[in-house]
Amino acid sequence: MARNTYREDEILETPFNVKHLLRSWIYVKKYAGKMAFALTLSAFGAVAGLFTPIISKEALDVAIPDKNKQYLYILAVLLVLSYVVTVLFNTARSKIMTKVGQNIIFDIRKDLFGHLQKLSFNYYDNRPHGKILVRVVNYVNSVSDMLSNSLINLILETFNLIFIVIFMFLVDVKLSFVVLLGVPILAAFMLFIKNRQRRAWQQVSNKNSNLNAYLQENIVGARVTQIFTREDENAEVFSELSNRCRKTWMKAVSYSNLLWPGIDNISIWIRAAIYIAGLIIFVNGNYTAGTIIAMSSYAARFWQPIMSLGNIFNNFLNNISYLERIFETLDEPVTVDDKENATEMPPIKGEVVFDHVTFGYEEGQTVLHDVSFSVKPGESIALVGPTGAGKSTIVNLISRFYDINSGRVLIDGVDISGVTLNSLRSQMGIMLQDSFIFSGTIEDNIRYGKLDATTEEIVAASKVVCADPFISRMPDGYATEVKERGGILSQGQKQLVSFARTLVSNPAILVLDEATSSIDVQTERALQEGLNNMLKGRTSFIIAHRLSTIKNCDKIMYIDNDGIMECGSHEELLAKKGYYYKLYNAQKEDAS
Amino acid sequence: MQMSRRKWIWENLKGRRTLYLIGIIGAISYNILQLTAPFVVSRLIDTFISGENAAENLKNNRQLFYTYILAMVGLTLIRTAIVYGTGMTFESVSQWFLYKMRNFLYNKVQRQDMNFYNTYRTGDLMTRLTGDLDAVRHMLAWVIKTIIESISLFTATMVYFFIMDWRLALTILVLAPFILIVIILFKNNVGQKHRILREKLSGLNTAAQENISGNRVVKAFAREPYEIEKFNEANKEFNEMNKETALTWLKFYPYIETFASLMPVVLLVVGGLFMIDGSLTVGEYAAFSGLVWAIANPMRNLGGVINEFQRFKAASAKVMEIYYSEAKIKDADDALDKPERFAGKVEFKDVSFSYEGSKLPVLNNITFTAEPGETVAIMGETGCGKTSLIHLIPRFYEVTGGQVLVDGVDVRKLKLQQLRKNIGLATQDVLLYSDTIDGNIAYGDEHLPKQEVEKFARYAAASDFIAKMPEGYETIVGERGVGLSGGQKQRISLARALAIRPSILILDDTTSAVDMETEKQIQESLKNLDFPCTKIIIAQRISTTKNADKILVLQNGRITEMGSHEELIAKKGYYYSIVALQMGEEV
Repeated sequence: MARNTYREDEILETPFNVKHLLRSWIYVKKYAGKMAFALTLSAFGAVAGLFTPIISKEALDVAIPDKNKQYLYILAVLLVLSYVVTVLFNTARSKIMTKVGQNIIFDIRKDLFGHLQKLSFNYYDNRPHGKILVRVVNYVNSVSDMLSNSLINLILETFNLIFIVIFMFLVDVKLSFVVLLGVPILAAFMLFIKNRQRRAWQQVSNKNSNLNAYLQENIVGARVTQIFTREDENAEVFSELSNRCRKTWMKAVSYSNLLWPGIDNISIWIRAAIYIAGLIIFVNGNYTAGTIIAMSSYAARFWQPIMSLGNIFNNFLNNISYLERIFETLDEPVTVDDKENATEMPPIKGEVVFDHVTFGYEEGQTVLHDVSFSVKPGESIALVGPTGAGKSTIVNLISRFYDINSGRVLIDGVDISGVTLNSLRSQMGIMLQDSFIFSGTIEDNIRYGKLDATTEEIVAASKVVCADPFISRMPDGYATEVKERGGILSQGQKQLVSFARTLVSNPAILVLDEATSSIDVQTERALQEGLNNMLKGRTSFIIAHRLSTIKNCDKIMYIDNDGIMECGSHEELLAKKGYYYKLYNAQKEDAS
Repeated sequence: MQMSRRKWIWENLKGRRTLYLIGIIGAISYNILQLTAPFVVSRLIDTFISGENAAENLKNNRQLFYTYILAMVGLTLIRTAIVYGTGMTFESVSQWFLYKMRNFLYNKVQRQDMNFYNTYRTGDLMTRLTGDLDAVRHMLAWVIKTIIESISLFTATMVYFFIMDWRLALTILVLAPFILIVIILFKNNVGQKHRILREKLSGLNTAAQENISGNRVVKAFAREPYEIEKFNEANKEFNEMNKETALTWLKFYPYIETFASLMPVVLLVVGGLFMIDGSLTVGEYAAFSGLVWAIANPMRNLGGVINEFQRFKAASAKVMEIYYSEAKIKDADDALDKPERFAGKVEFKDVSFSYEGSKLPVLNNITFTAEPGETVAIMGETGCGKTSLIHLIPRFYEVTGGQVLVDGVDVRKLKLQQLRKNIGLATQDVLLYSDTIDGNIAYGDEHLPKQEVEKFARYAAASDFIAKMPEGYETIVGERGVGLSGGQKQRISLARALAIRPSILILDDTTSAVDMETEKQIQESLKNLDFPCTKIIIAQRISTTKNADKILVLQNGRITEMGSHEELIAKKGYYYSIVALQMGEEV
């Protein structure tokens, strides 16, 4: 799949089917008992409500004509009671359903986030992050009502409708059919708008997602915008995206808003039809005034639940496009996942073997072709070569961030595709090129490497990587709050913090991917000493361009686009007078 | 000056105010019309069904019968047409407001200075421009409409009631104050909760946003369980607060509902007493009881509306905070207009600088000059203030003392846009956009022709690897440039900076992740650019610095050494030690 940007709508991979809706049952099921209870409470409330017309009728027919004030007061008290009982039942129901609705979206969000944690780099690399974010937060919020209250109301209103129909037929069959005449008209009307409405709301969710993607990227990239004075162009792009949101929304509500007026009109046509039928057409039926009035009031009441159902239907159509996106994300296959019979990776000694590994990020394109090498426990390996040759790719494969196309990657003789990701990665210390810093204190950021690290351990690690001096100089020392993406820290300082974070995790295999590129030479030199201690007894992979950093490694692998060209110690490779020799001399020349 | 909410909304409705008023009038009219159809129906029933001469009337006066039927159907059609039109008017105005406001806020945000970005997190800003702003839209589209509907229905019915029987109308009104008291109590209670709820929503957004951006680190440390735990905490807090807010409503709801339900009871008792003493007819009573919902429902709705209103208040406060935020760094009123291409002279005069809210000085007494066309290299330890220094040139931050001059003019006296248009900056933290490589290089000049893009890619030694990509310059890179190696990203960022042909090119350690060979190529092309350009380069490598006209050594925010490569070597200071270090280790 090609990468998605804010410019394109995401194609919905799975078209809508009823399964989507049935699937939400998984989330609703858990609360089925509570919902049934709420339903019962509602039913009781409705029953209590049934008494009110009877009591009113008694007052009007008996108490008032009899001028019996005493009886009138008693009836009034009963009436109050029945109202209070109804209110209490309804309140209790609402309390339950509020909690259920919120808990359902809590569960969905939890699952969604949990699933996102399992998805590999590919997923995150192929779409703007704003589009992922909008699903986790905004979309999930939107479906709460649909899966809780709407569901209950659907049941209640359906029952309500059935009761009304039964009562109606008990009064008069012929006129009841006149009332039911409205149903096919309504059905035709709904069919007419349904598909249009659904497509329109899908568009709304697409356009919103695009807007979010652009927004998020531009907030993160504000500095780039400003230095390139792109503010005006960006404002134009944003305004265009924003305008599309507006247009799709207007289109969608232009359908949604049709429903109520539609039902309203059909309902009055039916009432008119009853008057005409009852008074003029079925004259020989000889309807009494009472029957006609009763039927016209039933006709009015018949449309009430239909209105509510229409409303639920509307709500459902609007939100199903969000639900689709949520399920789509939940269905996103986890490409790199624990195998079914995955075992725990035993404590790693550090032997790493690449056995005829072929790998490409995208189909039809290989970055590594038939690469084989082996590393003994405790050895330090430097990877050198031109950018883009696949050095980072090799170290990414050791942690199984991607699955290889063919061949095997073995650690201590164990094929890493057969062990659990967590047991593998938790024994590795990987320092990536992008030294991402979380918002929080510096201490928290370092502790990320080992959640139960003591302050002493954190300070010790910082000292090893020469981060301690600058951290101590900060106003709040280790407790200094750093903002998202590191804010106040310089790039070099971020690298040192992220270095400390890796060290504190005390990994069995250490991977440093351009870990020191932004650190000045002198600091790096100081750091080297501590690092050398660190490297002792650990297998380590180091990618660096500064040859000073890697000279002391046990083995140096020269990699270019054709694969591993040379492998050996610094001295061996120099003696070989090959690629490494050339590279080394180039640097020497430059320096002098 | 921050306006009140009402004024703020009204001010921003300029251009759609008339339409909005039409919408309000529409809402009033269909609520009054709502009372007409029942009136027609009651006339029809009286005349043709239950009245004394019903059967006769039906036989002799078909015309009137059909007129009533037609009136019934016609009035409903007119009313629903107005309902639809009004609904669409409210939607259209509120969408227009949303559109306008969102653009305004986006513009506000993207023109803010760095202090602003250090204060607000991405997730928080996202929430303000999406969820919070939507609550404001909802207010315009729905809340106000509902308030108007409720008030007009209530008023119209009340007028009708007073005309029919003022005593009975008054007794129904007796309950209104009670409902109002409960609503006011509720309002005071729920306001704070909505404010907290907005914070929790922002927290949830931030938690998710950071996790998504940092997904690589999360995986590298196998911290998924920890992240899930952290997120679920934010999720839980949002969940709890949502429940608490809703339950607060449910605490007050039974009272409002009960009082509203008492209205027909009061009507029955008082009306019944009047009927008993003969001062009210059954027909009059029926008219009252048939419409008592039109009094009770608006009262009921008021509670829900107040809840929404409090939500709006909390959300709009967050939106307005951004709306009224002012960037501290902006064009001076008397800024110099300098539309022509700058010569590129950069001068620091006794500059000192510290970050806002921090007493720690970052730069002290920095004085140096870069003449047009010169190359100045800056070297120094991690955290010594190199990046802060160069960020003062495009005026990302304001100096705390001294002056930064470009072409002899204090940067504070230049127009920001004109100043920055002349500066090409390739930052350390390379930020590419999820766009094609072509689009990324042409970021500063969208209309850059293809050959030019390729030329600048060549200058940045990027053309080779780009050519090897499956779709060449049309390859889409992921957000923040994922899919590219560090060195590749840096080279595209360099090409992007070059592509605007800046008079001042600032490179912040832009080649740190590039291999030696490539770097040499880059140095070569930087020497032979086809446009005049002052270069200020932060670098660690001697190979980069040695050809500079001037080298500055920065230590703890002060310039400790300055001169050419040879001069500084002769000085045998810090620079010399670095040279020795690099040569000693590499030779």
